[in-house]
Amino acid sequence: MSRSIQYTSSPLLASRTPVWRSKFVVGAIALAFFGLAARAAYIQVVANDFFQRQGVVRFERTLDLPANRGRILDRNGLILASSVPAPSIWAIPEDVDLDKAQLQRLAKMLDMPVSDLAKKLRDEDKTFVWIKRQVDAGIAKQIAEMNLKGIYQRKEYKREYPEGESAVHVVGFTNVEDNGQEGVELTFNKDLAGKSGSRRVIKDRLGRVVEDVGDQIPPVEGRDLQLSIDSKVQFFAYQKLREAVVENKAQAGSVVVLDVLTGEVLALANYPSYSPAKRSNLTGAQLRNRALTDTFEPGSTMKPFSIALALEKGLVKPESIIQTAPGKITISGSTITDAHPHGALTVNEVIQKSSNVGTVKLAMQMQPHEMWEMFSQVGLGQKPQVPFPGVVSGRLRAYKTWRPIEQATMSYGYGLSASLFQLARAYSVFARDGSLVPVTLLKTAQQVEGVKVFEPRHAREVLHMLYLAAGPGGTAPKAQTMGYSVGGKTGTAHKQEGKGYAAKKYRGFFVGVAPIDKPRIVVAVMIDEPSNGKYFGGDVAAPVFSETVQQTLRMLGVQPDMAVRPQIVANAVEESF
Amino acid sequence: MMRLNLVLLLAVLASAVYLVNVQYESRRVFTELDRARSEARRLETEYERLQVEKRGQATPARVEKLAREKLQMRQATPAITTYVTYSAPAGEDVAAGVAP
Repeated sequence: MSRSIQYTSSPLLASRTPVWRSKFVVGAIALAFFGLAARAAYIQVVANDFFQRQGVVRFERTLDLPANRGRILDRNGLILASSVPAPSIWAIPEDVDLDKAQLQRLAKMLDMPVSDLAKKLRDEDKTFVWIKRQVDAGIAKQIAEMNLKGIYQRKEYKREYPEGESAVHVVGFTNVEDNGQEGVELTFNKDLAGKSGSRRVIKDRLGRVVEDVGDQIPPVEGRDLQLSIDSKVQFFAYQKLREAVVENKAQAGSVVVLDVLTGEVLALANYPSYSPAKRSNLTGAQLRNRALTDTFEPGSTMKPFSIALALEKGLVKPESIIQTAPGKITISGSTITDAHPHGALTVNEVIQKSSNVGTVKLAMQMQPHEMWEMFSQVGLGQKPQVPFPGVVSGRLRAYKTWRPIEQATMSYGYGLSASLFQLARAYSVFARDGSLVPVTLLKTAQQVEGVKVFEPRHAREVLHMLYLAAGPGGTAPKAQTMGYSVGGKTGTAHKQEGKGYAAKKYRGFFVGVAPIDKPRIVVAVMIDEPSNGKYFGGDVAAPVFSETVQQTLRMLGVQPDMAVRPQIVANAVEESF
Repeated sequence: MMRLNLVLLLAVLASAVYLVNVQYESRRVFTELDRARSEARRLETEYERLQVEKRGQATPARVEKLAREKLQMRQATPAITTYVTYSAPAGEDVAAGVAP
């Protein structure tokens, strides 16, 4: 009995707990709470960046707001280039699981061989493969409807060029990334492209946008560009040029149509050309915008300028007689000849018959620096102020290096070079009473002031000579066109090859003005290496001029200034070069 | 005192629930707006595409081909054109014709 223990009276319990222990526990718990509170405050108030960033990463997204590329319009607001949606198809090969029928159907829709498609999808290591870029919107929709696993689409745009090959040298094209590569698309790429914007949004679990966050940066839409080109004039000019090049079995050809009142380029076409939609087998010959990038010796088309300078310096009057017999002249040992010897000619007839000797006789009375100044004033040897890739300046040597024979040959267009575009622009001085027009590729509403080169009286006199040259007895009766009076000058130049001139290779060209009384347009045509028997500019280029003038003036609403009667074309073409 | 607190508590709860509801509603409406906007954008590009297509059907090349082949038309020349000038207020047009 005595061994039993009275638990209630355990000696341990009997001993008094010291007070500091309970206080210590309370203190420790309080400290823990305080620690938690401090940590919470630290996380939520002081150092909240990290967690906020983590949150943002999980539900906020930045959406790109793409800017639409601006359209390129012609002077009447018709579309020359515009962007249309063209989704690109891509795949994750690993996820793709197509049966044979599906594969064939897909290949057929994408217009590619089944083997190619299968090859693209076979590479399972890759996580991303373009299957085809920029497919038609309709086809993309069909593919989306097939609902294939592992096949996705990306929204992209491609450029459409309704005018196709006729305007491609002016308009140019863009690459698959929507960057301009040629022509206006390249020069004005910055304006056309615009600037894409962005917006921050909160997306929910299903990927729907539920809230905007912060300010959005609106996209700057690409600017629409209105060119001076008239797509109808452009088309007709191109069509006539193509016919002429094919008919004459020529290498190439170019045509430029300028509005002399405003300096606008109404048409600028080259052949051979290419379709901007099918660019897989492009050659340099097709790509070249010859009218602006190819220079050649302008030949006889320079004579009117030499004559105009002679009039300006008071050396002659249009009716003055110049003896060109016996059809040749010797300058410091070299002999210059006329293709057809003429006797005594008036200055008018020198242009009309295109006499080298007559021109040279006048030119030798002038100072080299006078000729040089005049040539540069009409824009030779200087880059035309058109914003275009690859514009060339041609060649006009400093007058101090001219030898007498060179001064003589330059007066009739050899020893200097120019592009067809420069030539067309230079002729605007005769169409505008002696002032040179500044040219533009963009639409301008009002008439422009030119730079005065010749006295109006002298420009008029030369214009009359050009009229005679395109008339009966001139070198280019084929330039005449029904209803409108025209004037112009032919040129036929031996092509340069290496250091000398190629024996049987020519360029035929024609630059002219119409209508004569109130000039409205300058048209320049160049046919490169015609090889079907005819090669004189009056034979190969003048007919293109005639038809282009006819169509252009009709479309500009210019009334015919001549009574209309059947035009009889003189049979024999006399010409020299 | 106790009753007032209870009322206030209920009011706070009600307002909180209402806030949640409004937030939900606003997000739903915003989603709808966003969808409508992207639809508008889609229609805009579709319009642009159709414009280009329409233009593609009316290029001078195609018009000329059809006019020539289907309608047997030929190019107008001044020889078969009569030019009419409009003389303003007199009311009577004077035809400045060019005789064919």
